[in-house]
Amino acid sequence: MASNVLPRSVQRLIDEFARLPGIGPKSAARLTFYLLRAAGDQALDLSAALHDLKEKTTLCSNCFNITEQDPCAICLDDNRQRELLCVVEEPLDVVALERSRAYKGLYHVLHGAISPVEGIGPEDLKIEELMNRLQHGDFGEVIIATNATLEGDATTLYLQRRLAGIEGLRLTRLARGLSVGGDLEYTDDITLTRALEGRQSL
Amino acid sequence: MYINHLSLTNFRNYGRLELDFGPQATLLYGANAQGKTNLLEAMYYLATTRSQHAALDNQLLNWEADLAEDPLVVGRLVARVERREGERLLEMRLIREQQGDQISFRREALVDRRKVRLMDLLGNLRVVLFLPQDVQLVTGAPGDRRRYLDITLCQTDPVYCRTLSRYNKVLEQRNAALRSIVEEGKGRDVLPVFTEKLVDLGGTIFAKRASFVAAIAREAQRIHYEELTDGRETLRLHYLPRLYSASYTNGSDSTAAQMEWAEWLESASAEQAAERFRHALHEARETDLARGRTTLGPQRDDWMFMVNGRDLGSFGSRGQQRTAILALKMGEIEWMAAETEETPVLLLDEVVAELDERRRALLLGYIQQGTQAILTATDPSMFTDAFLEQAQTLEVQDGRVVEGKSALV
Ligand SMILES: Nc1ncnc2c1ncn2[C@@H]1O[C@H](COP(=O)(O)OP(=O)(O)OP(=O)(O)O)[C@@H](O)[C@H]1O
Ligand SMILES: [Mg+2]
Ligand SMILES: [Zn+2]
Repeated sequence: MASNVLPRSVQRLIDEFARLPGIGPKSAARLTFYLLRAAGDQALDLSAALHDLKEKTTLCSNCFNITEQDPCAICLDDNRQRELLCVVEEPLDVVALERSRAYKGLYHVLHGAISPVEGIGPEDLKIEELMNRLQHGDFGEVIIATNATLEGDATTLYLQRRLAGIEGLRLTRLARGLSVGGDLEYTDDITLTRALEGRQSL
Repeated sequence: MYINHLSLTNFRNYGRLELDFGPQATLLYGANAQGKTNLLEAMYYLATTRSQHAALDNQLLNWEADLAEDPLVVGRLVARVERREGERLLEMRLIREQQGDQISFRREALVDRRKVRLMDLLGNLRVVLFLPQDVQLVTGAPGDRRRYLDITLCQTDPVYCRTLSRYNKVLEQRNAALRSIVEEGKGRDVLPVFTEKLVDLGGTIFAKRASFVAAIAREAQRIHYEELTDGRETLRLHYLPRLYSASYTNGSDSTAAQMEWAEWLESASAEQAAERFRHALHEARETDLARGRTTLGPQRDDWMFMVNGRDLGSFGSRGQQRTAILALKMGEIEWMAAETEETPVLLLDEVVAELDERRRALLLGYIQQGTQAILTATDPSMFTDAFLEQAQTLEVQDGRVVEGKSALV
């Protein structure tokens, strides 16, 4: 698609779409022309949504989840167990845990995991903020719920070292096990080993 | 186990191929550059997810398909493998996709039509590959010898394979942490975390490699002594683990030190090996920090051949080196069969041509005992009539396979 043929405003949107992960130049052009032809206010609605995304959201100064009001609704909710804290990598992990309805405590979002290869160290994550919260708050248990990746594990190990010194604080992590609906035969042995280690009596 | 059907699409010089195999010997013959080695490569690739010689996986895609205007090119390798517990369908897809001016390449693995991780393909088909250039293993770089260890072990031990892949990722992170300490002065508090993980995984790798080399050495030594040299020469294989820091040997003979550690490892548990590795990493801490990378560990391991007490790589004749490699490969067959209670598939590229009559008979003896073997040769007349009568003979011509002429038999 030769850029001099298209009006600047069209080309600009194509270029912006193409910068998004998972979208190539062809899909970018397809999306742009779809919006150009789309009925009613669809394009303007999208533009407003994009605008609000940056203008209206901020990070909760307590738990660092994304929110429109600071502190966020979860931090303000008096019905939650305030002595229980769950540490996750990303805001989407909070969404997943909330969807399960199984967790009633508070959260702390790290915004990533330790990965020297990508130049991400503890100082790039909300770890000092976590230390602060734990020292000043009244937490009885911290559940570390990082991803089951090498970087997630390393972050857990790092936090374990850092938090070990805090008196009266119970440190736990999520159990690793079989996925529901998963076939035992096709489960890899690291998962199986962990599931065996975390077995429960009937 | 044996392969009973192979199907290729856009792989090397094969546009499209469907080929049935019998459970015993198949001889692929034909002039040079027709695609004999490519066929063995396809089977090896399905067994190991690697090519024995292509540097890049995308070189395996058929050139003509690759040159076509089509934005999507898919190469497919499919093998139906008959195993003791039933049939398995193994598939590897090589996918080259073009989006605008970006070209991406990826691979997909399937077992019984289910997508799996690449490493889960391993162990479903086990092969032992014989190549004319195998002899380079004796004199070549340590990396080639490690590769041999890893590929052979990965075919039989999925835990080893996953541990190794995790180890390599942790190593990369630990090296990055070391570099960031050196270059930016930060990351000191992160280093112990990756050291801890490295030690855990490394301990398992050291222990498994030590017992593997010891086990395959037993087989290879016996075959070498009894069957290949009539008791005239003794072969020894030595694992040389990089489990000590430079200060440990202090400039003295490091090979001797490594042999001692190898011996210790043979009876050590993975935990003991990890403990020793932790200690060595601690001793090497200053060196690691100065160099900005991890200077010891399984990634620096080696192993060596000795004949009659001397290093075969430095002192052996070409003939002695060939004999040792033959012993190693035959040992590999015995070891794999014992380990998995199933005979692997033998892939023999040209090698039969280089053997004298007696060794040829010895090798072909495995096939008579009910092992599947796929052999290549430019000239089938080097095989005995008796062999040709019981083998399936196929002629390879420019990326096609045709029934062998009966006149040859
Ligand atoms: N990616 C590819 N696409 C198409 N053709 C290829 C590709 N890679 C290699 N070839 C062709 O395959 C041929 C080599 O095939 P192969 O190595 O299997 O020959 P061979 O029958 O074993 O010959 P020899 O007897 O010399 O060992 C070469 O002619 C090469 O041009
Ligand atoms: Mg060849
Ligand atoms: Zn909050």
